[in-house]
Amino acid sequence: MASTEQIGLNKTWELSLYELHRTPQDAIVDNTEIAVSPRSLHSELMCPICLDMLKKTMTTKECLHRFCSECIITALRSGNKECPTCRKKLVSKRSLRPDPNFDLLISKIYPSRDEYEAHQERVLAKLNKSHSQAALVNSINEGIKVQLQNRPNRSRKGNEEGSSSNSNDPSQSTAQSSESAHNSQGQPSASQSNIMSSSAMASLSMGSTSTSTDSHSLNPSSNTITSRMASPAPSGRSTPSQPPSPGSSLGKSIGKRPKSAFTSERSEESETSERTDQTDTEGEGPSEPLTLNEIELVFKPHPTEMSGDNPLVKALKENSVRYIKTTANATVDHLHKYLAMRLTLDAESQLPLTHHLLNFCIFISPSSGQYVQLNGNQTLGQVNDKFWKVNKPLEMFYSWKKT
Amino acid sequence: MAQNVNPSQEQHSSNAKRNDDNKKYSTDNHAVTKRLHKELMTLMMSQDKSVSAFPEGENLFRWIGTIMGPKDTVYENQKYKLSMQFPNSYPYSAPIVKFITPCFHPNVDTGGNICLDILKDKWSALYDVRTILLSIQALLCEPNIASPLNSLAAELWRSQAQYKKHVDDTYKEV
Repeated sequence: MASTEQIGLNKTWELSLYELHRTPQDAIVDNTEIAVSPRSLHSELMCPICLDMLKKTMTTKECLHRFCSECIITALRSGNKECPTCRKKLVSKRSLRPDPNFDLLISKIYPSRDEYEAHQERVLAKLNKSHSQAALVNSINEGIKVQLQNRPNRSRKGNEEGSSSNSNDPSQSTAQSSESAHNSQGQPSASQSNIMSSSAMASLSMGSTSTSTDSHSLNPSSNTITSRMASPAPSGRSTPSQPPSPGSSLGKSIGKRPKSAFTSERSEESETSERTDQTDTEGEGPSEPLTLNEIELVFKPHPTEMSGDNPLVKALKENSVRYIKTTANATVDHLHKYLAMRLTLDAESQLPLTHHLLNFCIFISPSSGQYVQLNGNQTLGQVNDKFWKVNKPLEMFYSWKKT
Repeated sequence: MAQNVNPSQEQHSSNAKRNDDNKKYSTDNHAVTKRLHKELMTLMMSQDKSVSAFPEGENLFRWIGTIMGPKDTVYENQKYKLSMQFPNSYPYSAPIVKFITPCFHPNVDTGGNICLDILKDKWSALYDVRTILLSIQALLCEPNIASPLNSLAAELWRSQAQYKKHVDDTYKEV
């Protein structure tokens, strides 16, 4: 199969001695079973460029090497016009042809490809965790916290320390995470974060692929991983032998929730669930170079246009102030959409249906008492540079559009 | 409801926040990190002791590779460290590979830069950390005298005893 050994093979079409003399093998017609090791199978079905399972297989017409469609097209665009495996000339995309039969074969062998990928993702994340120092420090800190948590409060001092460094005691966080599990099962929170992420082109590729539904066919080892992901407090992670908790199916829905790459609303409940799922599935973070600017913002209701008797403000109560962190290249339009989704969801029960999917106006206040409405196509980075400049969370005000 | 909490009042969130940041940076290069992770995993499981590599510190895009001098050559028993810097377009473009350990070789200059076709125009997306290191290892004992970066080394190559002396003088374990 396509592998590095084949680079530099002779480019002629002369048949080798073996090829000249070999006789075709008979097809197996009875029920003979032949075992193939997963590893050798994997190397057959792997794209040698991304080292992943072939996706939309493309085969080179002359030398018959297989690649993912995306991989080979990128390779041809960015490099020499030759087969990455054997250097045979590839003039263009026309030197390739799709290989649907091979795709079919793969889907036959791996019917739940999402599952396979999700599993692989977790293995890689674990590997990363072991090599990343930040993760190590993190886990040490977590460990200390857990110890504090489990230590009976012998002294006053210990007591204070314990309660200050642990804002969520076990019972509380269990309640929270089950609440958030419930939340994500009842789909709004998942979909709403997804909308934001897809609307701002910072889409996270694996987020969508790992949302597979039939996660119960997992093998035992990956099951323990998910059940650990499900366990609420940090303590869950430091006890690998913990039996699968009854909440593990709920936990899966937490773990598999499409991750919003774009907007993360900080909250206690998403923290308990997301922190675990980040470290378990998406751990490569610390090693990344910093490429994106981030902006923190505080959203408040417009003080005059959204005064106290406004039904939305009433319905939201203390939730009418929103804290958001997002990328600087998000635009004000993205925030419009976000507000429309998020606030109406929060206020859903109290609001009449007519108020659903409201349009919002977004303002900034360069000096007190003065409110400037912001254009939809400005990015937050631009707004920040133009009006805010100071190094603290950007304050914005919203009101809904009078129609 | 515990949603939507002011970050400044929520000291506990600093941790989650940092993770959040990291997650965002990782999305851009997800395919690259994924491939590098896979390579790392293969390398860690490989039995080959003559070449090895590991990310340097936190940054997955910067690795330190080690190659042992090939047996029965002037480089035998010497251990060479190399730095590998992966571009965001990896594996569609080659990493920048340099010797950290000083190396006396016709195709290596005093700055550690290596003249090797597969790291330049002959790059293929199929090369990986392991094959790069193996190629450099092979280059050690089969230099390309025709286009030297170090002309003294190229001249001396024919007289192996003298060459060996230079190799040993230059070599300095780091």
